[in-house]
Amino acid sequence: MAASLGFKGDLLATIPGLRAFAMSLSQNADRADDLVQETLVKAWDKQASFQPGTNLKAWLFTILRNEFYSQMRKRGREVQDSDGLLTARLAVHPSQPGRLDLDDFRKALEQLPEDQREAIILIGASGFSYEEAAEICGCAVGTIKSRVSRARNRLQEILDISGEADYGPDAIAAQVMGSTG
Amino acid sequence: MTKQTSGAGNAGVNRRRDGEPLGANSEIGRKLKQYYDELVSDEVPDRFAQLLSQLEEAEPAQQKD
Repeated sequence: MAASLGFKGDLLATIPGLRAFAMSLSQNADRADDLVQETLVKAWDKQASFQPGTNLKAWLFTILRNEFYSQMRKRGREVQDSDGLLTARLAVHPSQPGRLDLDDFRKALEQLPEDQREAIILIGASGFSYEEAAEICGCAVGTIKSRVSRARNRLQEILDISGEADYGPDAIAAQVMGSTG
Repeated sequence: MTKQTSGAGNAGVNRRRDGEPLGANSEIGRKLKQYYDELVSDEVPDRFAQLLSQLEEAEPAQQKD
């Protein structure tokens, strides 16, 4: 069936993005590639349930994300509850004020709870809309917005960034940050 | 000492989109994209293409039991 070739090609095309998302979630290259492999196998098995014309990338990200959390549960790891964490105490201070090192940023990102990290990645890097991210994560759009906002605030705290030129429309977040500085 | 400067040359340009709290003019937003782009551009191991070929051979089309 010709559709199968197309499906395979579409899967191949999304692999770089899937790997990046898997790395962002798992913070481990081996686990990330295992996640991608599982995702591809599952996607292949479930391809009949994919509706052509809908967002394949979002569909695949959903599968990968489900696989990630399912593996975490199997490992007996508690899924981090973002409300219960105090990541800010592990502050990373940029060696050069105003110029953020990518390694510092990576460390800061690792400290975020999974739900916040995935939200800020999906919105800020993977190019999904809030609606798509909400669907991928199986939660409300408002929840995604709140997680992105908390993730950004947390990163700013950890990285000790002050005086961001642009907070975007989220004035509440800016006020929160202002009160800590 | 690994000092990495941001590749974004348009750092100071105010280009944020409405409803986008991680816009191009935000340090967090820029770093996030830099972090992610690096991951995306990582070379993909052959094993994934091989895997898909194997899947295709085992189960050519949408015919399942």
